[in-house]
Amino acid sequence: MRSITLGHYLPGNSLLHKLDPRVKLLSLLILIVALFLVKTFLGFLLFAAFMLIIFASSRLPWRYFLRGLRPILYIVLFTLILHFLFTEGGQVYWRWGPITIEEAGVYLGAFMTLRLVLLVITTLLVTLTTSPIAFADGIEFLLRPFRRLGIPGHEIAMMMTIALRFIPTLIEESDKIRKAQMARGADFETGNILRRARNLVPLLVPLFVSAFRRADELAVAMEARCYRGGENRTKLRELHTRPLDYFGIITVTGLVLAIVLTGV
Amino acid sequence: MLIETRNLTHIYMPGTPFQVEALKGINLGIERGEFVGIIGETGSGKSTLVQHFNGLLRPNSGEVLLEGRNIWAGEINLRQIRSRVALLFQFPEHQLFEETVFKDVAFGPRNLGLDGEELEGRVRYGLELMGLDYQAYKDRSPFNLSGGEKRRVAMAGILAMKPEVVILDEPSAGMDPSGRRHLLEQIETLHREENLTVVLVTHNMDEVSRLAKRLFVFSGGQLVLQGSPAEVFNSTAIIKEIGLDLPPLTALLQKLKESGQNIRTDLFSLEEAGKEILQHYQGG
Amino acid sequence: MSAIIKLQNVTFDYPSGDVKQIRALESLSLTIEEGEYIALIGPNGSGKSTLARHLNAILLPTAGEVRVDGFLTTREEHRWEIRRRVGMVFQNPDNQIVATTVEEDVAFGLENLGVETPVIARRVAEALEMVGLQSLRNHAPHLLSGGQKQRLAIAGVIAMRPRCLVLDEPTAMLDPRGRREVLETVMKMNRQEGITVVHITHFMEEILEADRVIVMDRGKIVHQGTPAEIFSGELDLYSLGLEVPIIPKLIQMLRSGGLNIPAGVLNVDELVNFLC
Repeated sequence: MRSITLGHYLPGNSLLHKLDPRVKLLSLLILIVALFLVKTFLGFLLFAAFMLIIFASSRLPWRYFLRGLRPILYIVLFTLILHFLFTEGGQVYWRWGPITIEEAGVYLGAFMTLRLVLLVITTLLVTLTTSPIAFADGIEFLLRPFRRLGIPGHEIAMMMTIALRFIPTLIEESDKIRKAQMARGADFETGNILRRARNLVPLLVPLFVSAFRRADELAVAMEARCYRGGENRTKLRELHTRPLDYFGIITVTGLVLAIVLTGV
Repeated sequence: MLIETRNLTHIYMPGTPFQVEALKGINLGIERGEFVGIIGETGSGKSTLVQHFNGLLRPNSGEVLLEGRNIWAGEINLRQIRSRVALLFQFPEHQLFEETVFKDVAFGPRNLGLDGEELEGRVRYGLELMGLDYQAYKDRSPFNLSGGEKRRVAMAGILAMKPEVVILDEPSAGMDPSGRRHLLEQIETLHREENLTVVLVTHNMDEVSRLAKRLFVFSGGQLVLQGSPAEVFNSTAIIKEIGLDLPPLTALLQKLKESGQNIRTDLFSLEEAGKEILQHYQGG
Repeated sequence: MSAIIKLQNVTFDYPSGDVKQIRALESLSLTIEEGEYIALIGPNGSGKSTLARHLNAILLPTAGEVRVDGFLTTREEHRWEIRRRVGMVFQNPDNQIVATTVEEDVAFGLENLGVETPVIARRVAEALEMVGLQSLRNHAPHLLSGGQKQRLAIAGVIAMRPRCLVLDEPTAMLDPRGRREVLETVMKMNRQEGITVVHITHFMEEILEADRVIVMDRGKIVHQGTPAEIFSGELDLYSLGLEVPIIPKLIQMLRSGGLNIPAGVLNVDELVNFLC
């Protein structure tokens, strides 16, 4: 449950919240590319400084924000340890039997870790300040040019919306079925992994049956409300770009150009 | 006393901003062989309460006793408690999962360690109590049955555990009138012939007033009234205050009494109420 | 009055795995007048839902024809004209809400119709006002009560300005409070907004306010009449798997006991008025 709420939209009124979702998504894409172009620690420092300014403008509570970083902690540690132990080259800092920590390992480990952390920070800044609806709208718009290549932008956005709509309903339902089976003596808590997996059948089968029934009924209900795909569809909320949005996208592009041209 | 609660309190998500006190110090008792009704608005604590009776929820404070023994003290055997106190949730057909009716009904008894002939006997017992022919139904897929049949198979699955108490949460919800009538008759028969203790959680005041001998009324996590249907539904002020309806016949008799007739208001069957009204108004 | 929906000799077979098909409607004819409140009752499997789904071209007749405001349901190019005129509300409140906020969900149908943005916003606000959900417009649907969810579903349909509202057991999964909310809302749509209502239900008490009650059995209309006629005792509802609600049943009993209760009396208050 908790992992779903991580990185979840936090309503607010900041400049970052008000930014057009298309601008935010596009900026996110550009910034991610930029992160892979950065070659020096100075580059990361500049990038981090920029993200700090953005973070300040988002007025997000820093505790909540840092909690969003927790899931990647293990990945970061794992990356660091792998590089420390197995990347060789340069000065040897430490030796214990066959295990050595060398300069190149420390350098590369730190480099990779920084890149990963900044990547997640940048993504979090977007997901925490963009409502699911705006997010889906933004994705739909940005994928529009790729329609001819067979990428169904509208359908992807619709699927995202429906998934978000039904996640709480299905969680509630699985809780109810779990209890109903426990009332019949089912045991979900003891035994080894194999046994536990088998014991999940009485929970999973009804959940799937119900999900299919819901999908069926939803499809009929959508059709009854004149749904016929994305063609000629309008929106309750139209996306509007304002001067702030242009400013945003120009700044981000400027930053990337600076990184590429100066080679930091 | 078969089931008893002492000062039972339950709090959802304690210590978070979402904390809700769902039950506040409940004291009640149910005797063996009784037919009791639990009524109250959605969110009044009824469902939370009955989930304590078979140990699906654990009280934050207070005790739940089965035949005088605290179910959460000493050696805890929840599986055994759940086989003695069976709970059927609303829309129980959603819990069916096996390939055949036999296997699904057998799920509960099998979890109790039964197999072979004994298991088969239990399945037969459960199905036949629900009016489903064993031979005709045992090999069918539960997913290909009608809505009413599915519900009865789900109920058979509970009865096959030979419980002493069955708790039924809105058992007739969503059924058509004949299905509803049929199901309630079966529940009544079970109570009478198998001497089963029945706890009926429902919103249907008319049904519960005729079936249950004793009612518990919940509102805002508290037990606000208990007693016979006549006692409960003649506490009109409280019933109205907590937003419940009166059974239609009671509402009628009370209005006639208010208009000055010296008429009885403790009658719940059509025949008795009709006779009473005719006595007062015939020829008038 | 003019007819808004006309069914002529409609037969419908559900395709089934076997050679044998399942006949759900059998040469059924029905005319629904503009502004009527129709209650549709019948046991499970009598064809009520199948009939409802013919009213906005979700199902198409195997034989016979259905016309909505003159449009033939079998004509592909008429389908959307029909669906914007006849809105549907289904039994399960959860499985008809598409969007992640109340407001967005009401807008869904209008967005599908390609209505302009400022108009959508206005109509969404109007529809939410009509069903009394304006204060919850930014809420997530899963946080609503059952009755609120069904009112949301009604708002989503009403925003499209339909002429007819078809409700397929909208109260079956609700508690008494939710049922009351939904019934009051439906009644308001009919009496104040003049929207034609076709209301399918298993709760016999819910049909007392209808202009016309249609009783179905095995794919056919077996009886129609006012609620008073249906509950007069002449029609054997019991053998149709239905039943007379308790107060009309009591009234029948009092009549045979010698009380001369007039035909229009159906509920507690009317009976008290008569007796006192």
